[in-house]
Amino acid sequence: METIEVRDLRKTYGDTHAVDGVTFTVHSGETFGIVGHNGAGKTTTVECLIGLKRPDAGTVRVLGEDPAQRRRALAQRIGAQLQDSSLPERLKVAEALRLFGRFYREPAGWREVMARWGLESLAGKAFGDLSGGQRQRLMLALALVGDPEVVVLDELTTGLDPVARRETWRLVNDLKAAGTTVVLVSHYFDEMEALCDRVAVFARGRVVAMGSPGEIIARTGTASLEEAYFALEGAGR
Amino acid sequence: MKAFTALTNTELRLLLRDPASMFFMTAFPLMLLVLKRGDSGAVPGYLAMIAAIGGMGALPGVIASYRERKVLKRLAVTPVTPVMLLGAQLVAQILAGLGGSVLLVGVSITLFDGEPPGNVLLLAAAYLLCAVMVCALGFVIAALVRNARGANLVGMLVMFPMIFLSGAAVPRKALPDSLRQIGDFLPLTPAVEALGHGWAGTAAVFPFMILAGIIVAGTATAAALFRWE
Repeated sequence: METIEVRDLRKTYGDTHAVDGVTFTVHSGETFGIVGHNGAGKTTTVECLIGLKRPDAGTVRVLGEDPAQRRRALAQRIGAQLQDSSLPERLKVAEALRLFGRFYREPAGWREVMARWGLESLAGKAFGDLSGGQRQRLMLALALVGDPEVVVLDELTTGLDPVARRETWRLVNDLKAAGTTVVLVSHYFDEMEALCDRVAVFARGRVVAMGSPGEIIARTGTASLEEAYFALEGAGR
Repeated sequence: MKAFTALTNTELRLLLRDPASMFFMTAFPLMLLVLKRGDSGAVPGYLAMIAAIGGMGALPGVIASYRERKVLKRLAVTPVTPVMLLGAQLVAQILAGLGGSVLLVGVSITLFDGEPPGNVLLLAAAYLLCAVMVCALGFVIAALVRNARGANLVGMLVMFPMIFLSGAAVPRKALPDSLRQIGDFLPLTPAVEALGHGWAGTAAVFPFMILAGIIVAGTATAAALFRWE
């Protein structure tokens, strides 16, 4: 059984085919990237993986289960960081981590997670008083407090400064080393190139290329994933 | 259950951190009592007012901001359902209002030598129904008004006239006839009556049944209209 299997996924909003027949699999322990510019169908695909959206057609299986039917059961095993979600303004960092820890049957220790993500100095700070980068780091930590088997990170490093970005990369590599399956969604090509074992390149709701970043770069005869993307994106028009 | 307790704890803590809620649910009714020279006859109405300030004045804005700021969405991808957060908010409002109420009754009895309630159990039951009822109305407002600012404003616009016309803040006897007639149709009026009966220790079934009816209708309406995003 593959950790994630998506076959011919389709999702339409009105006349727009947000996702138009997407197929990919993610192996256990792999770091898999979904890359493409805004509106390519990345977030819709991810929301189908975590059960927030119901596909119009196609099948989605995560850890062998259908997220649309079994969202809550799967939520015990999947950690998710969503694009621009937030917490109550007056909730403090330590309180948020402790609260989320209570949601799971077998959580990671929230104090450990707080320490590992460098949030200890912010423990008593309210969510509303955090900077953009600090919020992002807290939301990432909350995705991991349930000690998940699969982690889905949408817009991992948006809003982080270069130092915090590199630090986050290091932490994602720690997750990889621990055997966690990671799905990264981003439009930062350097990040995907550095972190992902394999990537699916999305354009206009479809997968236009899939493979390791090195393979995709070689296949397109370009020098970087970003150049490869523009070559593929242009060819698809 | 562990998750729900933790959520309720958190919601209560956040409520206690909100200076406006705290002022209007504790200090404000005490100030009114002092202005009334400790007249314990006003206390049951003030209890309804405390509940209404929480359920209609504060709750709609909180819930709408949770939706607007995607707090509900974040919770939807944990093993907890967003419904649990709404339930936790309800329980926190009831507990906070209960705290304010016990404080008010305590001050009335100890400092002003006021009469104690005639039937504590009946009074507690009346308070519970009243608190759940105003929260049900608060959920309806949060379902009808999409943005946080608007929900907060509409909550205030509904709550303020209601506490004045239902007999919660001022006795209905003091109102002109036409205004008193409006009060006959407001959901907070039977709540004030039920609390009055509990306070006096006289049993009355009718206002309790009306409150129960409003709770059922309000909850059904809110459940049908509420949008998670």
